[in-house]
Amino acid sequence: MDRAAAAGLSLSVVGHVALLALLSFALVRIGSPPVVPQAMEVSFVEEVGLTSASPQPSVEPAAQARAPDIGPIEDAAPAPAPDAPAALPKQIAPAPSPAATQRPAQARPAPSAPAGTGRTTRRPGLGDIDPRSFGRDPNARAANPPAATMSAQASASIAQAITRQVQPCADRQVYPGPGAERIVTPISLSLNRDGSLKARPRVGRQRGLDDENRRYAQRVADLAVNAFVSCSPLRGLPQDLYEVPRGWSNFTMVYRLPG
Amino acid sequence: MRIALIAAAAAWSLTLAPSAFAQTPPDPAPAPAQDDDDGQLVVDVTGGQRAALPVAVPYMPTPQEESTAAGGTGALGRQIADIVAADLRNSGLFTPIGPSGLPSVAFPQVTAPDFASFSSTGAQNLVQGFVQANGNGSLTIGCYLYDVSAQSELTRQGYVVQPRDWRRAAHRCADAIYSRLTGEGGYFDTRIVYVSETGPARRRIKRLAIMDYDGANHRFLTNGQWTVLTPRFAPNQQTITFMTYQDERPRVMVYELDSGQTRPLVSQPHMTFAPRYSPDSRHIIFSMAINGNTDIYRIPVGGGTPQRLTNTPGIDTGGSYSPDGSRIVFESDRGGSQQIYVMDADGSNQRRISFGGGGYATPVWSPRGDLIAFTRTGGFRIGVMAPDGSGERILTGGGYAEGPSWAPNGRAIMFTRGASAGRLWYVDVASGATRQVPTPLGGSDPAWSPLRP
Repeated sequence: MDRAAAAGLSLSVVGHVALLALLSFALVRIGSPPVVPQAMEVSFVEEVGLTSASPQPSVEPAAQARAPDIGPIEDAAPAPAPDAPAALPKQIAPAPSPAATQRPAQARPAPSAPAGTGRTTRRPGLGDIDPRSFGRDPNARAANPPAATMSAQASASIAQAITRQVQPCADRQVYPGPGAERIVTPISLSLNRDGSLKARPRVGRQRGLDDENRRYAQRVADLAVNAFVSCSPLRGLPQDLYEVPRGWSNFTMVYRLPG
Repeated sequence: MRIALIAAAAAWSLTLAPSAFAQTPPDPAPAPAQDDDDGQLVVDVTGGQRAALPVAVPYMPTPQEESTAAGGTGALGRQIADIVAADLRNSGLFTPIGPSGLPSVAFPQVTAPDFASFSSTGAQNLVQGFVQANGNGSLTIGCYLYDVSAQSELTRQGYVVQPRDWRRAAHRCADAIYSRLTGEGGYFDTRIVYVSETGPARRRIKRLAIMDYDGANHRFLTNGQWTVLTPRFAPNQQTITFMTYQDERPRVMVYELDSGQTRPLVSQPHMTFAPRYSPDSRHIIFSMAINGNTDIYRIPVGGGTPQRLTNTPGIDTGGSYSPDGSRIVFESDRGGSQQIYVMDADGSNQRRISFGGGGYATPVWSPRGDLIAFTRTGGFRIGVMAPDGSGERILTGGGYAEGPSWAPNGRAIMFTRGASAGRLWYVDVASGATRQVPTPLGGSDPAWSPLRP
């Protein structure tokens, strides 16, 4: 071994030791094993409701709910606890500001119902305080909270519920032949409130037909109808979203075979 | 210095290694819902399986038991149900349930099925029918197909036949069901002409034979005095052409099915072989060897002067027309190995479409026109490819296989399996399901007829 080789070997040994020390130091700094995030079920949906769930969307938080009958403060407020802030009753039921009173009637409807009727949210000890107002910005004035109609999320949720119920029957359909997986078949469905079919499914215009798969068009239409009918009636769909716009009273199922 | 560089490289690789295991984010799942143009809820459902379809086939009742030339109507109803179930099973696309073990069907239930009785069997579809003797000696056979889940009728057919044709009615019923459930034409009401083989290899007796596609109604057309090969059905089903070694010389013959007469196709004394009809049944293309060179010729079925279509050194043979009659596929060794070529029907525009090793033989154009079946001579397997040579696919597994012949719907191929003691098999092109065709003796060179008129 000549001097150059010995020097190289020495340098290599020193380098390895330095690398080992560096890596060991880096490992020491990892005090605890990484926290494995809890698994969360995620499904991707298109939040593309073509009509807004809120007819007049606002970037402000929803206005604080008001008691239907604004009585004297001393009647509405509970007996203050010794350490309760004195201003609390005013924060809960603020006096209408001039700006608020100029808003349209539907934004801040004048209380018309007699006290004690039509309101079921009162809780013992709270007087006329609406518990739904807790945590809200007392200065918020927006009167158009989201989800006045079926939202895109609710639409997706309904669609997922339907898909879950139809999927086992769709999986039983038998692939008729080459190219059939390119056929896209929409069927129009009209349901009763109990989830049963109100009318025979109607097959819409199929897409993806070509010279190779055209012979399977009718068969795939059969499969689409069969997939739904076999798992009908649907169960557990929310009744309040039956007849709303984009509700499940009438909807379209788009069926296709896996590729 | 070299060691130091290696150490540095190792350290560098350590720092890079974890990136090799980095996960790429999965593609988002398709959106389960969207809104259509009408603002209506739209639900996407994708599902299906590549499996045999369960179909219930109960025995077919008769409104009144009567004796006919083919037997009692009650017995015929049971036999027809058996044949329908066998046809569906033979296709490889269906799993028939029954007829035995299924609830009996009363005559009034034929048109008003008790769906609840069959839904528990797992069947998605239900075949029902009846057999009725008419006063004039004929039979009426009804055939109904239902969707069990939807409780709806999918198709119905009725056949008025003479008692001797009761099996054909059963096959036609199966064809109607096959067609409705697959979207394809059927192929059960067809016949097969093939070479029946028996005896030791050196003194093999090869006779021309014909039978229904399922092996029934089998009969021999020649007595075995001369070896026969490569029979082909005329599309109009009036004649069969084949090659025979009459007097030790290969000659193409034409057999008249009605009269049973046989005549040579060409009068020239040359070797002729590998005949096949044009789609209009008016011409036959065949190979003829003259002065050591084999080319493809065309001649009217009734005879005449052969017209030469190829003119290259080597062996051009195995011609087969496209279904529209505009092109011919054939095999040739002009390039040094046996490969597949395509030309226009007049012999022009010849071009090679296969380029694989091992060689290709016996090309046959599909009745649909979309595929060409062939024998891959390297391992003797059956395959298909597009007419431009693309998409080559081998359909048969291990074991000797050759001589493909298309079913009239272009979905199944019959072929010979086994080199010395061959048997007839067929394969579903889409699913790859295979099944043996029963023959009383060995069999080779099958030719599938079109659907019977």
